[in-house]
Amino acid sequence: MSAEASTAATGTVVAPYRSSKLPDVKLMMWVFLASDTMFFGSLIGTYLAYHNRSLVGPMPRDLFDIPLTTVSTFVLLMSSFLMVLALHSLRQNDISKFRLWTLGVAVFGSIFLGFQVYEFTHFANAGLSVHQNLFGTTFFILTGTHGVHVTVGVLWLVSLLITSYLRPMQAKDAVYLEIAGLYWHFVDIVWIVIFTVVYLVEFL
Amino acid sequence: MADSKHSSVTSYVIVALILGVITYIEFALVEYPQAWLGSTWTLIWLIALSVVKFIMVVMFFMHLKDDDRTYTGFFSSGMFIALATFVGLTAMFVLPRAVASTKPENVAAANAAHAEVPEALLKNVETGGASRTPDQIADTPRAADRSVEITPPTASNDASTYSVTTPTTAAAGTPAAGTPEAAPAQAGGANEAPAAAAPAAATPAAAAPVEWDSAHGATVFNSNCMACHQATGQGIPGAFPPLAGHAADIYALDGGRTYLLDTVLFGLQGQITVNGAVYNGVMPAWGHLPDGDIADALNHVLTAWGTPPSGFTPFTAADVEARRPDALTSADVHAHRKAIGLQ
Repeated sequence: MSAEASTAATGTVVAPYRSSKLPDVKLMMWVFLASDTMFFGSLIGTYLAYHNRSLVGPMPRDLFDIPLTTVSTFVLLMSSFLMVLALHSLRQNDISKFRLWTLGVAVFGSIFLGFQVYEFTHFANAGLSVHQNLFGTTFFILTGTHGVHVTVGVLWLVSLLITSYLRPMQAKDAVYLEIAGLYWHFVDIVWIVIFTVVYLVEFL
Repeated sequence: MADSKHSSVTSYVIVALILGVITYIEFALVEYPQAWLGSTWTLIWLIALSVVKFIMVVMFFMHLKDDDRTYTGFFSSGMFIALATFVGLTAMFVLPRAVASTKPENVAAANAAHAEVPEALLKNVETGGASRTPDQIADTPRAADRSVEITPPTASNDASTYSVTTPTTAAAGTPAAGTPEAAPAQAGGANEAPAAAAPAAATPAAAAPVEWDSAHGATVFNSNCMACHQATGQGIPGAFPPLAGHAADIYALDGGRTYLLDTVLFGLQGQITVNGAVYNGVMPAWGHLPDGDIADALNHVLTAWGTPPSGFTPFTAADVEARRPDALTSADVHAHRKAIGLQ
């Protein structure tokens, strides 16, 4: 179970000195997700620490649109559902379904980003900017960082989709889709927290 | 890994359905508030529901339920440290806020606590957190430690004629450059000049030259005012109004001098307009500071970043002491602001 030993080896080649049977890329992804958890923990903590400390408007309650954000949250959750279907299909060597579901995840992710672009534009028109007040600073940095994660995920999935046309992709390659999926689900659970802590709790 | 096709896909569908339903419940709790539940229980339910969603995605979509425990270990460690960071951040920000207050009894308690601060720490405050004590600075002055001599303009208010020169090593080397006793001796030469250059009629206070400790003024400003108004008095657009230039403009108004003093002593609350920008924040009252500190900080604000206003008479501790009995509120000061013609 030693992380040191497994990072020394690469890919699926099992060196004699390996003490872990776990795929390195997957182990690496979980370690990365653990560190990314701390990153988002700090950003969400900072948002809450500065909550209600803005001296000028606009304030969160002036801007947040809960029905809209609920829809975008639902879209992101369903993209996670499509993600597990894509992985399942690839493991069954069902390449056409794998492509369909993966494309679905990328499209749903893009829809979520579209909602975010709409939201940011709307907020900016209402006078909120990174410089306007502490709410603007912490909100844009937090949700912007999440948006960048989603963008990276969409690009990653599209690159896997393109790869599947360039060279044959089989069940044994599933670990590469699996780590992309882990990343995608992680981005989803971060949004689950942001949706509750930043958006919903605001209106209690 | 090779779970049967039906069972896993079925479980994915069930999980997705539950996630969707929970999201709708969360939405409904906020959009259609339930009076019988109360906001505290609504909060608890919202947090519980999001934790359920979080765990379901991690367990079923990220497969931690059936996967190697090593992954769970890594992720749990990250979660733990993230939560600890979260709690630490909250503690850092919430605890001081719970303690700090402008209530008189709390200010008195804070002053009492301040009296017991060790001498070494007070020295640290005196030097603005500098690594060297005033005595050490006096022994071997560095360029940055020397106080500057300010020569006011002789002909006009043109900033280009306003010169700042550092005194000779011998002058700066007089004992204890940062201490109030010694400073008037070295700063005096510079600070007499504004009063002398001013037309006597424009000065409401005594016509005799007044001296102040410019280094001490900078220290007081940097410890108390700089966080909002910034080191160069530029303020923060939209949040904290600028002082550089603006304070001098106010000083020139009829009653402006007293207004400036009142703002620092009693605070200011209400919408104001400075250079066309609207501010709606709170300037706290600084009445808990000693008279001399308030006077020196005001003098620093009026002289440090530009031409002192014409007819500038430095504030003295006696000026501050004389205003204290008025005991204005921050709203009174706002009315005062309107009365002298400011927005």
